[in-house]
Amino acid sequence: MFAYDLRLALLSLRRHPGLSALMVLAVALGIAVCAITFTVYHAMATNPIPHKSRQLYAVTLDTWSAERPYNDKKPDDPPDLLTHRDATALYASGAAPRSVVMYKSGALLLPERQGVKPFIATLRVTTHEFFPMFDVPFTYGGGWEAAADQGPQPVVVLSHETNDKVFGGEDSVGRTIRLGKVEYRVVGVLKPWAPSPKFFDLTNGAFEDPEDAYIPYGWGRALEMPVYGNTNCWKSEAGDSYTDFLNSECIWQEMWAELPTAADRDKYQAYIDNYARSQKAAGRMPRPLNNRLYDVGQWLDRNEVVQRDNRVLIGIALLFLGVCLVNVVGLLLAKFLNAAPLTGLRRALGASRRDVIRQHLTEVLLVGLAGGLLGLLLAIAGLGGIRAIYGSDFNRSSYERLTQIDPVVVVVALVLSLAAGAIAGLYPSWRIGRTAPAVYLKSQ
Amino acid sequence: MFEMHNVTKAYRTDLLETHALREFSLKVEPGEFVAVTGPSGSGKTTFLNVAGLLESFDSGSYRLDGEDVSRLDDDARSRFRNRKIGFIFQSFNLIPDLDVFDNVDVPLRYRRMPAAERRERITSALDLVGLSSRMKHLPSQLSGGQQQRVAIARALAGDPALLLADEPTGNLDSLMARQVLDLLEQINGMGTTIVMVTHDPELARRAHRNVQVIDGQITDFKPYEPQHHVNAVAAVPAFA
Amino acid sequence: MDIKPILSSLRRSPTGAILVALQIALALAITVNSLYIIVQRIEQVGRDPGIDLKNIFYVSFVPSGDRFQGEVTMREDLQLLRGLPGVAAATVVNAVPLSGGGSASSMYTEPNEKGKRSDMNYFQVDEQGLDTFGARLAEGRNFDATTVRKIDRNSSEAPAEILVTKDVAREMFPGESALGKTVYTGLSQPVRIVGIIDHMLGSWPSSDKVGNVALFPVISDESFARYMVRARPGQREEMMKMAEDALSKVDNGRVIIRVRSQEYIAASTYADDRAMATYLIVVIALLLGIAALGIFGLAAFNVSTRTKQIGTRRAVGARRTDIVRYFFLENWMITTVGVVAGCLLALLLGYWLSTTFELPRLKLYYLVFGALGLWCVGLAATLVPARRAAGVSPAVATRTV
Repeated sequence: MFAYDLRLALLSLRRHPGLSALMVLAVALGIAVCAITFTVYHAMATNPIPHKSRQLYAVTLDTWSAERPYNDKKPDDPPDLLTHRDATALYASGAAPRSVVMYKSGALLLPERQGVKPFIATLRVTTHEFFPMFDVPFTYGGGWEAAADQGPQPVVVLSHETNDKVFGGEDSVGRTIRLGKVEYRVVGVLKPWAPSPKFFDLTNGAFEDPEDAYIPYGWGRALEMPVYGNTNCWKSEAGDSYTDFLNSECIWQEMWAELPTAADRDKYQAYIDNYARSQKAAGRMPRPLNNRLYDVGQWLDRNEVVQRDNRVLIGIALLFLGVCLVNVVGLLLAKFLNAAPLTGLRRALGASRRDVIRQHLTEVLLVGLAGGLLGLLLAIAGLGGIRAIYGSDFNRSSYERLTQIDPVVVVVALVLSLAAGAIAGLYPSWRIGRTAPAVYLKSQ
Repeated sequence: MFEMHNVTKAYRTDLLETHALREFSLKVEPGEFVAVTGPSGSGKTTFLNVAGLLESFDSGSYRLDGEDVSRLDDDARSRFRNRKIGFIFQSFNLIPDLDVFDNVDVPLRYRRMPAAERRERITSALDLVGLSSRMKHLPSQLSGGQQQRVAIARALAGDPALLLADEPTGNLDSLMARQVLDLLEQINGMGTTIVMVTHDPELARRAHRNVQVIDGQITDFKPYEPQHHVNAVAAVPAFA
Repeated sequence: MDIKPILSSLRRSPTGAILVALQIALALAITVNSLYIIVQRIEQVGRDPGIDLKNIFYVSFVPSGDRFQGEVTMREDLQLLRGLPGVAAATVVNAVPLSGGGSASSMYTEPNEKGKRSDMNYFQVDEQGLDTFGARLAEGRNFDATTVRKIDRNSSEAPAEILVTKDVAREMFPGESALGKTVYTGLSQPVRIVGIIDHMLGSWPSSDKVGNVALFPVISDESFARYMVRARPGQREEMMKMAEDALSKVDNGRVIIRVRSQEYIAASTYADDRAMATYLIVVIALLLGIAALGIFGLAAFNVSTRTKQIGTRRAVGARRTDIVRYFFLENWMITTVGVVAGCLLALLLGYWLSTTFELPRLKLYYLVFGALGLWCVGLAATLVPARRAAGVSPAVATRTV
């Protein structure tokens, strides 16, 4: 019976090619716009580290001014970075099963290879826990030990791309590379790794590339390396040296703690609250106690990674689909009612009401499916276009990252197109099935 | 009041030329009730279209109600149809989503008649056909005979000089057909000229004069007899 | 005129009309609100930056060895750059306007962080800084070369004099001239305002305070410094190449990383706004196209199913123009219902958008334009079908097929 319905549906579509094409196009455009918007939204809203996102916590302390909150628009939020003193104190305490402190910097990379221009390599100055905590995958070698942070030892981990650029992609473990004034020995090379969003450091854009290389935490202080991320100071403090900077109330360091169980979490929260109280007693941290631990999901929410804009766009895309569907309903209704005499004839010859409805729904689902497939093709072209215009033009990897074809969205789009077809076709099919056959057999 | 003289109309397609009317001449006096008969394909419908100014013709002349209507433009023809001609169609041609009142109203609206006058005419027309009680009904709520009577009311509401009927009882059963025909006779009795196209010999007999169309040309076979009313079946053998 | 019969006819079989009206309503709501967002974005992107956007470019460099001697080396490079034929002015700067990156500092009208406060986005430049930016001074004067100093990155030393924009002046000294006034850093260091810039946008385009800009007479620390050059009109591309070549030839302990134009940097920062605007424009175009096609399709279909009716009307005396007018009137009535519903929907949608997403409230004249636009779309879509209807021959009425 289904094959027969299919045949009838195809015949019916072919009888009015213009109308059928218009309907398929309407569905296709609606699906395409939705698919493009969903793809970007989904890429932004993905959990970058699902198996661990509830065990990794961003550590924040409210060390800000008594006069005003860190963010006027969200006065309950503590600042997102720590002072050097607080970060090192918390890290050294060992209160968390594992934690990491880090920040972003940069240095001139002078490659030995011919034909490679010197460039400013973005560096992550971090303690050794970074790699195991964030499950960073290695192609060659691995990270470094705690001792390297103290030394600091001149070791470096390269990103996949940097290794390609500087060493042609070979196993460069053991070789040296010059960053700024120091020669570092390569101890590890990463696999291509670009968590999206870049949850552990959102300050320079949530979807930009991760750093070119990673060096032990101690180097930042040893070389007084400049901070490439945010530095925010509420207190004007006299000073003229790097040491003064380290001792100041300026916040610039990122800290994450790995707290696998709820008990770990509570214990750590108690610890940082106690730490804050002791600091308050010493005259610091004038604001009320507000030290928060954010898991990855909460951290992304707090930082509004899925921008407002995108939610608006989703709404608009769905409304647009709605208009397309209303369009299709109208055309279907018109088409079905026009073919009523034919339908009446079939009813007279023995088709039941259910047969008629089923036959018409098949036709509608076919339109929906065709529209969905065409829509996906259009969406792929559209995403490619966005990537071409914005990704390459401005070197914004975010556009690349957010416009990759997403299998989840493909499935959703197809299901949506069938659902859309079903919804659009429901009323017209019911209408045509409802009328008595005799009415349509009369000549007028 | 109706005079066609040597009217010719041809339909041209890429392949052939069909002469639907050939040197067709017909004269109808005021107050006549003429039946136009003929086999299918003879040109009856074309005659009706031309007579009703629904289509133009190629050569010849046509005078209607004292005016030469041979070379009128589309707008003028529309105006003439509106004021001088009333149509009755085989399939009633009522507008399905207008009620009876609004259906009879249609031609009067095109005449830009004020509301009060329209209302008066519609009411009296519906009275005449006996359907005043059904003013708010839709065509789908009426029987075939009632629908045709509404159509007649529509044709009469504008007080036309000529009533053109195309197979008026073709879609009706014999009882309703008789009712409609009685009505037509009544209207004719009040002075309206009626030209009716039909292939039904029974119907043709009820008219005062029969005219036959064969191959686009006309043959008169029954003279004008003002009070002649045929109701016996075997009176005159019908022309096949 | 013909309104009553059309109304009763529509009331009897309203589905088609409702669908068309619904399409128009949704299309109006979406179009009006999207247009509003687009205009806001375009305005944002089109703001006057207050600098010579087309002719400025930046040379980023990094000290690479011991040969690098801080201020001396940088001044050497500047002299070279200023000597190039197509260069109007050059300076060292710590950040780039409209780039998303920069530095800000708070100053007060009274010592000890009292009085009025202003947060200013500061750019450290030398005496040619104002000229290189191409910013206009409304009052006062530029820096004296003697006041320009190199201040260490970690130092809390403050400049003796600064230039500020009118926005800053208004914040700190509303209703009076800020020229010559002294303001204080958080450490109560006095700083004199010697010049007031008419208007200039800073590093962060989406900030409310993007117009709060100050120029400090400071040679910035080499870890953040870059050379800013203003080429003579039309010679930017040429000068970018020439500057890179000339500087690369000199081996004085620093490496040239890249040369980028201000225009490129600003465009990159505005890319998101532009992308949003483009997306919305495409959606609106598709929306109006779909709506128009849909209305056209339905109208054409209606005409084709009503040929008998049209023929009958013509037979009883309607002229061609009467038929056209009938369809236009019918369409106009449906469109009007759609437009009215659409205006309500647009207001609702606009209100929801403004409260949920903190966007500004929809301006009413957008509704007027939207309504007019959709009326036109509705009418235009009916044009061809109405014409076709007028072409139906009255002889159709006598056909029995």
